[in-house]
Amino acid sequence: MRNFVLLLAVTACVTACVRGNPDGGADAAFDVNGGTLAVPGCGYSVTTYAGAEAPAVATQTFGTDPTPMQVHLGLVGDAKTSIVAQWRTKDEATRATTIRIGVGSHLAVPALTDVRTGITFAYRSTGAEVYRMHQAHLCGLAAGTTYSYQVGSIDLAGAEHFSPVYTFHTAPDVVAHPDAQVVFAFVGDSRGGYDVWQQLVDQIAQRTPDLVLFSGDAVTVGITQLEWEDFFTRAEPLFATVPVIAANGNHEYNAINYYAQMALPGDQQNFGVDYGFAHVTVGNDTPDDPMALTGTFHDAIAADFTASDSARWKLFMHHQPIFSASTKHGSSLTLQQAWQPMVDAHHIDLVLNGHDHDFEITKPMIGMAVQNGAAAANATVYVVAGGAGAELYPNGTQFWTAYSESTYSAAIINISHAQLTLDAFHPDGTPISNGSFSKSRP
Amino acid sequence: MIRAVAVVAILALGVGRVFADPESDADAAFRVAQARATAGDPGALDALEALGRARPVTRWTDDAWAAAARLAERAGDLGRARADLAQVVTTAEDDITRHRAEAALARLAATAGDHGQWDQVVVRHDALVAQILGGAGDPKPAIRELEALVRDHPDYPGATAARLAIAQGWERDGDPAAAVEILEQAIAAAPTPVLRARARYAAFRAWLHVRELDAASADLDAIAASAGADPLVVGQLADDLAVARLRARVRHGVWILLALLGALGIWRARSDAPSWRAVGRALVRPPIEVWYLAPVMLVLALIAQGGNPMVARALRAIALCGVAFAWLSGVSLRLAATRGPLRARRVALHVVAIVAAGVGVAFLVVDRDRMIDLLVETWRSGPALP
Repeated sequence: MRNFVLLLAVTACVTACVRGNPDGGADAAFDVNGGTLAVPGCGYSVTTYAGAEAPAVATQTFGTDPTPMQVHLGLVGDAKTSIVAQWRTKDEATRATTIRIGVGSHLAVPALTDVRTGITFAYRSTGAEVYRMHQAHLCGLAAGTTYSYQVGSIDLAGAEHFSPVYTFHTAPDVVAHPDAQVVFAFVGDSRGGYDVWQQLVDQIAQRTPDLVLFSGDAVTVGITQLEWEDFFTRAEPLFATVPVIAANGNHEYNAINYYAQMALPGDQQNFGVDYGFAHVTVGNDTPDDPMALTGTFHDAIAADFTASDSARWKLFMHHQPIFSASTKHGSSLTLQQAWQPMVDAHHIDLVLNGHDHDFEITKPMIGMAVQNGAAAANATVYVVAGGAGAELYPNGTQFWTAYSESTYSAAIINISHAQLTLDAFHPDGTPISNGSFSKSRP
Repeated sequence: MIRAVAVVAILALGVGRVFADPESDADAAFRVAQARATAGDPGALDALEALGRARPVTRWTDDAWAAAARLAERAGDLGRARADLAQVVTTAEDDITRHRAEAALARLAATAGDHGQWDQVVVRHDALVAQILGGAGDPKPAIRELEALVRDHPDYPGATAARLAIAQGWERDGDPAAAVEILEQAIAAAPTPVLRARARYAAFRAWLHVRELDAASADLDAIAASAGADPLVVGQLADDLAVARLRARVRHGVWILLALLGALGIWRARSDAPSWRAVGRALVRPPIEVWYLAPVMLVLALIAQGGNPMVARALRAIALCGVAFAWLSGVSLRLAATRGPLRARRVALHVVAIVAAGVGVAFLVVDRDRMIDLLVETWRSGPALP
């Protein structure tokens, strides 16, 4: 009964507080209208939305426990030369935000000689509780280079509160290195199944991707911070070393918690990222205003497709599948009408979705027709891998299905100048034997 | 003349050699080999390895070995994959490629042993899991073969994962008892607390699926008390159990309610009719409500047929029960009307009883296929798309 009441309360909060909009609450000084800050040396700005305060350069303010937690990397600028380290601290009052970096992998702390100050902002989704994010935007990095770093602060008494030392590397410069290969991990829908999520995180980490593509539904209710804590805490070993870019899922509810904790380019909803020989476009298929699917969001995605038409390989990630044979949600007819024509027109190689909690890979498609032979070169393969922990859905088979399986899964995408391959696997690491795809280009 | 031609030819060859671009040649060869790999040409692996061995070393050498390793692993030749990865480590021209190859070697060592002693078992394990979880036919032969594989190789590092796959296979094949049995074995034999906890989570979920809540509760207690238990997951499982218990209570309550309403209906019908025979005669003739409701329900069920099969199945059951209730309700009211005009209180009680029965049956139907989760999700999240 108590759970039922809790469920009702959460539901009420969801309808009342989606996308922030908290009340004035206990902290009258807390300005929830968001804002923009130009990040020094990066050539871009960080914007926060309603529910969060404006980002500000960090100050030497300390709370009771400034220990960093949930360290994760994101991308806002050029992946070759920049990266964003994000974290929270055990208290929400600490504003001090410092990163120490050095060139090389697994360096000792004294070798992290480059010390930079980051930015910080707080956000509030339900009730009066305030959460604080810390971000260090590292720009001017060298392409294809490994760095070590740790985040945290030194308090006024001189005590250090830093994370362990992690490493990351920047994207390769494919002009200087035409042999560059990049590896993406693709996964989505972890909500409510964090033990499976943990297994997949371990398996993905063993495959050393350069970038994690998360197709949405990290949590069941986007405004529930507790769930985000589960998600990020478990993913820290992976996310602290590999940047993640995500798409908003229907369970994120466009909540301020999502936008505050995921450093993403542009408006954080519809954007593109160049990484190696690939261009990844990300779309938000669950906008606050449904009309945006055929309006502003459609146009933003089309503009990114057009701007990246010369990319060697084109990937498009959003949450709800354009093609899915699962008997739970199935294909989104709305997106088939709204977005598939531009996917076809721009010859997107791979569309990555979640939402249906199974694995499915389609045959090469243009419109509603399966393409074979030479025509397949310009066709699109759609992949659903919505099995990062949320309860499984039944799979299905339709004329477009190359393979489907009701299973938890993730996939590794290898991209070189000449080839794109995708290999899916179960949480225990065993391959999904028919879950592979490969495409070559002369 | 012949001598002059030979001199020119030798000079041409020499100049060609001087101006040859090994990087460009290797690039072209790499593309051809990758295209062959994409086309499924079994010779692609040899071609990539040949490119890796070719000298001089080019920027494509390590890439060729890495691509060959991927192909070899995908083909199940783990020894060859290891050898190719070792070449990547030797020839890698950057830290990132070298680190990736070392990580892949570590991953292979963790599953197949440091020296590949479990290579054959791993390959068979992978193939059987593919048949169990993804095969179209009867999974039992593959499940039994995987059971035998684990039995014959008790020290195999992937034994726990294999047992979890076996349990999943039995559960999907409709034999939860076999699933639970193998999970108990997995718990007992798990070599690490993490794997043991993983097996316990799976056992808990298996119990929950077969609605053995006491067993699930006992499992949860064991999980909470065990080393390596994750407090976040334990909390999550406890919530799942609480929801399952709540639904079980509601289910029992609905069955009791339906039984009481059934008994009450029979008693009222017999009181209103002169004999049991008269009750039977009244039941045979469908009341007017049925003539109205049956076509409506039929149309709804037919429309649902074209959509989600789970929803269609539930709607069919609800439609059928709705028509049956309308039939019983109509007969009951008709019998009561033979004894004089119906009083408002009687009609009100009748409506309440029928509504309660309808809601109760709807709950049982949506709870049966766990479609209730879909409804809760829709309630909480709204429809998937406008």
